[in-house]
Amino acid sequence: MALTTAPEPTRRGPGSARAHSDRRGPGRIRHSEGLAGYVFLSPWLIGLMGVTAIPMLLSLYLSFTNYDVLTPFSEVRWVGLANYERMFTADPSYWHAVRVTVTFALIAVPLKLAAALGVALLLNRAWRGVGLFRGLFYLPSLLGGSVALAIVWVNMFNRDGAFNSLLSLFGITGKPWVNDPDWALETLMVLAIWQFGAPMVIFLAGLKQVPTELYEAASVDGAGRFRQFRNVTLPMLSPVIFFNLVLETINGFQGFTAAFVLSNGTGGPVDSTLMYTLNLYITGFTELNMGYASAMAWVFLLAIAVITAIFFSTGRFWVHYSDGEDR
Amino acid sequence: MHPATPPTTDAPAGRAHRTAPPRRRLLRGLLAVTVAAPLMFGAAACGDDGGAADPNAPVKLSIFWWGGDARAKLTEDALALYTKKHPNVTFEKTWQANQGYFDKLATLTAGGNPPDLFQIDDNYLAEYAARNTTLDLTSYQESGKLDTSKFPKSLWQYGVVDGKLAGLAAGENTQGLVYNKTLLTKHNLPEPTTGMSWEEHIAWAEQVTAKTKVPGTQDPSADYKALWVWLRQQGKDLYKGKELGFTAEDVTTWFDLWKGARDRKATPTADVIHEGNSSDVTKQLVVTGKSATSWVWANQMPDLKKNTKDELGVIAYPGDPSAQWARASMYWSVFKGSKNRDVAVDVINFLNNDVEAVKLLGTDRGLPSNLDLRRVVSDDTTDPAMKQSIAVEAELTQTFGESPQVPIKGHSKVKAELIKAAENAQYGRATPAEAAAQFLEACKSAIA
Repeated sequence: MALTTAPEPTRRGPGSARAHSDRRGPGRIRHSEGLAGYVFLSPWLIGLMGVTAIPMLLSLYLSFTNYDVLTPFSEVRWVGLANYERMFTADPSYWHAVRVTVTFALIAVPLKLAAALGVALLLNRAWRGVGLFRGLFYLPSLLGGSVALAIVWVNMFNRDGAFNSLLSLFGITGKPWVNDPDWALETLMVLAIWQFGAPMVIFLAGLKQVPTELYEAASVDGAGRFRQFRNVTLPMLSPVIFFNLVLETINGFQGFTAAFVLSNGTGGPVDSTLMYTLNLYITGFTELNMGYASAMAWVFLLAIAVITAIFFSTGRFWVHYSDGEDR
Repeated sequence: MHPATPPTTDAPAGRAHRTAPPRRRLLRGLLAVTVAAPLMFGAAACGDDGGAADPNAPVKLSIFWWGGDARAKLTEDALALYTKKHPNVTFEKTWQANQGYFDKLATLTAGGNPPDLFQIDDNYLAEYAARNTTLDLTSYQESGKLDTSKFPKSLWQYGVVDGKLAGLAAGENTQGLVYNKTLLTKHNLPEPTTGMSWEEHIAWAEQVTAKTKVPGTQDPSADYKALWVWLRQQGKDLYKGKELGFTAEDVTTWFDLWKGARDRKATPTADVIHEGNSSDVTKQLVVTGKSATSWVWANQMPDLKKNTKDELGVIAYPGDPSAQWARASMYWSVFKGSKNRDVAVDVINFLNNDVEAVKLLGTDRGLPSNLDLRRVVSDDTTDPAMKQSIAVEAELTQTFGESPQVPIKGHSKVKAELIKAAENAQYGRATPAEAAAQFLEACKSAIA
């Protein structure tokens, strides 16, 4: 359906309307203009179709089959809801992965946003060299989900890594963090939190938008630093907080690279870093249960959609859009 | 390109004359191309029957393997030699590290674009053979186009899945217990020997830990190949037909054995064991200096040696060495739908039976499968680590037992579940009995 309806807006767009009224031979020119439009659109369109839309629809179909990667499509067998049933009733490691992922998101996302906001507040001043610090704090998130960074992390946080050497200066014997099932996930959380640069930059931009007269008025009314933050900054920043919260939650749920590298693609030690996407990857590509993995992917998509919808529906209680003046 | 072209060539024609909105035609064309493309590749992959009629027609054969730079160099040289002898045959070579290799191979197969000829091992052979991805080489073997007359029988038989020859052994290896000679000599400790019992091995390791402060042995309870040897010594096996060849009690005994070893400090701590549970050669504890022995394959000796300055020794796993067998370290398999299957089989034959090619390849993929050529190579080799692995295998060849069946479909999951269960016991999160029960439960769904 999406395939045929998507281009409709272009047809009714201003370009073709003008072509219709200005020219004598509307048909031809409209056609060639339309064609040109599609030609210009084609890199995106082909990308969307080939890399996103068609594979997605295909995976929806596959989620109802026993597709195992190696067997040709023509021999794929329809299994109805069996994959979904298995997920919800007969696969403890699936629920384990859900637990790991939710734990990760519940802890890492708020802390990351808090760190981002805290540092943004500090850097929202006219100090000398503040630009340099902004750059430095932003740097880790540029490295993003890179494999190299994850490797560095593993080496910093194993038994004889740099972090434990640091601890030993204070006479503390560290843990083998990444190789300890009780701490491996926490180590990944720290990595995620450390990369708070992207939300920080957005917070900074948001802070700059807060009109200074509000602070002036507040301080005239006798509000202290904290009251100003609580009653001016936070409400004015709430749309940005909302935006970051939605984005980072989705990111948090999708964490893959670091867990993959840290555990050599196994989710270990003892499944402690078996994130949802990693479990999905193992199911699809190592165990070759691609039909089942597709079902997992669709449930994942729905779960994220539901969570995002919940954010949006609660948003009206705490997100304050100032541009509407009297809202 | 045929199925896809008509709609696209149609679209411009429609633009001039037809009444149907061209936009939709174009879209339909695009859609047709995108939908048809995968189908088309799929169709092409199904291939036409047989090899080329003209033996001198140019052939480009795609070949895919895993391994390091050294293997790539050797393999490329051997393939160049083939091209020299058969100028019409050229190769499209792709190789990469072991990690991710099978993901890539599966994806290539799914995309309808698998290599004609590929390297595979016993962890995946049955997965591919059971799904009819590999060409049955039996007819070539019978006609002599694939010569296995100089192979040990048990070796080529270890490529038979469900009565079909799914892959031909590219080399032979067997389990090898590698120990740090330098460390033992320095502390005046005895070297372990083939035939020691498991108890004796653990007692020896305990002594090593006490004297050297380096844990005596990696705990192999998460290692399927060690469990496998041990099971065979108990008259059991990893698989019997489509079933598991062992019970929860067997695994409990196995986990208990190693819990005892850990309690006696014969092994490193759980987190270090976890590091060593990686299949990566560079992370084996005997080369990272975190234990005095590691449980590997005998042909990995040269690779291990490259990662340490210490002298290494290699023997069989503890217990009766006749539980070990001539294992195909890896196979060459031909994609069933390959258009160049005859040539591909001839290349396999060449890589295994041509004296120059085998000399070039050396023991990189294990001992040469062809026994005559194995002798030639072992006489020629100068690499001391390679010599050691040849020596131990030659010695064990005297006692090798029957080959077990090739691990069944679902084996990769079984391997992963064993690691999980064993680590649960190692970290003290489960008793050996609980971990064993958990393992058996997981295996059931894995091989179902």
